[in-house]
Amino acid sequence: MSNHFSELEDAWNQSKKSLQSSPTNIENTYEKIRAHKKESFLFYYGTIAILSTTLIVIFSFFYFVAPVEQVLSRIGAGLMLGGLIVRILFEINSIKKAKKIHSINNSLEAVNNSIAFYQFRKKIHGVVAPIIISLYTIGFYLITPEFLIYMDTWNVVLFDISYLFIAVILFFQIRKGVRKEMNNVRETVLLKKELLEGN
Amino acid sequence: MNKNTTLQFESIHKQYFPMVLQMCLGFTQGDYDKASDLSQEVFIKVWKHLDTFKGLSSYKTWIYRITVNTCLQLIRKEKKNNTMSIDSVHHQLVEESKNDVTEASNSLYKAIGQLNELDRLVIMMVLEGQHYDDISEVLGIEATNVRVKIHRIKKRLKKILDHE
Repeated sequence: MSNHFSELEDAWNQSKKSLQSSPTNIENTYEKIRAHKKESFLFYYGTIAILSTTLIVIFSFFYFVAPVEQVLSRIGAGLMLGGLIVRILFEINSIKKAKKIHSINNSLEAVNNSIAFYQFRKKIHGVVAPIIISLYTIGFYLITPEFLIYMDTWNVVLFDISYLFIAVILFFQIRKGVRKEMNNVRETVLLKKELLEGN
Repeated sequence: MNKNTTLQFESIHKQYFPMVLQMCLGFTQGDYDKASDLSQEVFIKVWKHLDTFKGLSSYKTWIYRITVNTCLQLIRKEKKNNTMSIDSVHHQLVEESKNDVTEASNSLYKAIGQLNELDRLVIMMVLEGQHYDDISEVLGIEATNVRVKIHRIKKRLKKILDHE
């Protein structure tokens, strides 16, 4: 076996001689670094930006366009806005966990941090998001009675029915998210097992 | 980053690029384009974390860690998009004939490529002359475990080479 292996070592060292760093390699790397900075900013803060914009739009709607007056409606608006704020806080926490996955750690640490991150994402998709969407939906329907005072009934009914379609789309989105994170957890756990097994 | 760090990065790039590219080539079974992208990703991480390098290990071990983790992350990404279009396969075949990887090196990478992904990375560190303790530091597992792993991988590699 050692004979085979020393031949392999020679072939390996011989093969490396043809690989050299060049100014073009470095320039390409610098270009990638610049592109990477933009991408990772969008990756980390894209969802938060979308959720925050939604929060501002809904808040402005209730504050400037249709300030609700009944207690039930105010609870409804509170549930809608509160749910969004909670979701934003979870996203911020998620960024913190994602940033812990460092490639400079040893492989076992990196794998463990990845598992913690994917499990957290799974919890967001599987538990937190459905609760927030349920609260958002309850809030939405709590506002309906007050809207009936100012709008035609058929308009409000149409409004409520269209929300059901959105709920179906959200359901499938959540299911897709949970499956994706479950796959990530499964694969990372397998990798960890592979790392730790001795034979 | 200041000028000193930039100079330091360029010197690291010059010194370790062949080592990283060769590991990536072995990992990707000699696919030069994929290996180039992968090694660029490794150096992006080197650039990003260079300020935090404390010197607790050598640059070489530190770069190994980044390379191994980047390759392992690629497995997860690939499993997510494990379908390859006919166009991309054709493109790959055309490009393969263009690149600098010689036939002998290619068969070496192909032989290593028959091992599973983690074993490929471990055996490449052995081929690079890394000590068991350094490999254990890179992977975060016991040195005895590394020893057992390497013995098993060498046996498997011998079987592969005997069949060729």
